Amino acid sequence: MHRRKVLRQLTLGGGIVAGAGLPYGLARMLAPEQKRLSRSTDLKPPGALADDQAFVEACIGCGLCGEVCPPRCIAFKKREGGEEVNTPYIDPEIKACILCGKCMDACPTEALTKVEIDEIYMGIVQIDRSACYPWVDQGICGACVAICPLGEKAIAFDFANIYRPVVKQGCVGCGLCVEVCPHPSLPIRVVKQSKSKRVKQVI
Amino acid sequence: MLPTNVSVVDYASVRVFRSHRRFELSQYMLSRYKTMSAVPSDTVKNKSRIYWLRHINKLRWVSLGVVFSMLILLPLISVYQNYVAAHAYDLLMPDEKRLYDVMEYLTESFTSDPENDLDAIKGTTWSGIIFGLKLSDPLAVLGQIFAGLGVYLPFLLTALIPVLLTLIFGRVYCGWVCPATLIYELNTNLGAWLHRSGLPIGQKHFDRRIKYLVLLVGLILSAISGSVLFAAIYPPAIIGREIYYVMALGGFGSGIVFFVITLLFDLLVARRGFCRYLCPGGALYSLLGRYRLLRIKRVAEDCNDCNKCNAICEFGLDPMRDDFGQECNNCTACIAICPTEALIFNIRQKDLPYQGPGHLGHSYRTSQQSAAKNDGAD
Repeated sequence: MHRRKVLRQLTLGGGIVAGAGLPYGLARMLAPEQKRLSRSTDLKPPGALADDQAFVEACIGCGLCGEVCPPRCIAFKKREGGEEVNTPYIDPEIKACILCGKCMDACPTEALTKVEIDEIYMGIVQIDRSACYPWVDQGICGACVAICPLGEKAIAFDFANIYRPVVKQGCVGCGLCVEVCPHPSLPIRVVKQSKSKRVKQVI
Repeated sequence: MLPTNVSVVDYASVRVFRSHRRFELSQYMLSRYKTMSAVPSDTVKNKSRIYWLRHINKLRWVSLGVVFSMLILLPLISVYQNYVAAHAYDLLMPDEKRLYDVMEYLTESFTSDPENDLDAIKGTTWSGIIFGLKLSDPLAVLGQIFAGLGVYLPFLLTALIPVLLTLIFGRVYCGWVCPATLIYELNTNLGAWLHRSGLPIGQKHFDRRIKYLVLLVGLILSAISGSVLFAAIYPPAIIGREIYYVMALGGFGSGIVFFVITLLFDLLVARRGFCRYLCPGGALYSLLGRYRLLRIKRVAEDCNDCNKCNAICEFGLDPMRDDFGQECNNCTACIAICPTEALIFNIRQKDLPYQGPGHLGHSYRTSQQSAAKNDGAD
């Protein structure tokens, strides 16, 4: 009799704990984890913590960065997000960051912290010289150089040919050049670079 | 008095007779009520009742409506202004220009630079900026502390004002601000309407302490998984975010499905079930508001034990037996429904113990009468 009572209480307790965990399970089920390829389509907003895990830990998913963003480039991971659901990302192929810094001001947590425009690090741009129009002598362009908000120190023309773009170390990876690139296959893209490599190159 | 000898019915005199009869009847009822009432009439006269208190509930609906409409309007206006900034004003059609002028006039006080954006009020109740002041939900701060296992002071300070308000006024966020409350209360009304039309609605009761367990489980899971899980299951956060998503980003996220499930749970399983039994934010606010200063108090002399306050209470509390507890959110629905104005606000740290049946009620009267009889017998 006593054993049955204990058993019943244990079952009830387990049931209540399971009931308490139910909302989380439900939310997790609605946003299953689907890791996307790490391409230029998955940039973190400017001023973001460098470590992906630290960024997700700090972000509370309030959406303020997207709400203050003037070009509305900041989108949010939705149904496929898994644990990163509701965290912001930027897809420069759709809309690129203009480095205005409003999201850094707005973010209540340390997920986005205010840094100078030169110190933003979202990635670095890479140009495919076998596809870019001026590099394969398919015409003159210079759209990426014209749009770059950082100017000479981020992207400039090649010394020999004034229409061939060359990426410099000042690039912060905002992706405006990706947005503006007229080539259908986007020979210019933002890639991630390990922090140590970046520092070495700067020195 | 009734003219019996008229052959043609004189409707005017009948009407007069009827109205006079009604007046007599009301006088009679009043005198009977006075003799029935155990309370001497002079004590009722001397009491300083606050009659306007019952209208505070209307103010609460206004507050809920304003918060909710702001969540819809501000992103909409912001999107429109961005659209205008992107497509030069001079290129707009005359109608669009007029519309923009009106919008600018209306939003002037919220903006520092109407061409740029609407920057005075931003965000949702989960975390927002109001005239430069950053405010966050205490649950967001707590969840983030557990997810990151560290304290970021500027973020901690954004929850200071909500926490202080909760310490003084109790769980007012749930009743007065939360954008989900508006929908949940309308959902309750829908449930009552369905019930009246004969459809079955859920009326189960669970243990109200489950929500504290939900809070605890959420904190542990946040610490394990390293992401703020509350953001995915906390209805006000979901509402604010999803409204913004659908306004500016062109589609709902997964949160809206969860929210609809909670609405169905409320309708089909337990009335206002998510807030009562599951909401982790409600649990945190309840804990913070345990020793709140502003409390609703039952004046036993005025109470007639009609049980309307218990029936209206969205959180399943027991105002009629002085049991408000830590989960009362001072929403004043019971004050508004009370027919005898027996519920008032007062400032004290703990609820009164049960004061016994209300003095205008039946059980108190019979007990008094039997006590008087016993005294007479002694």
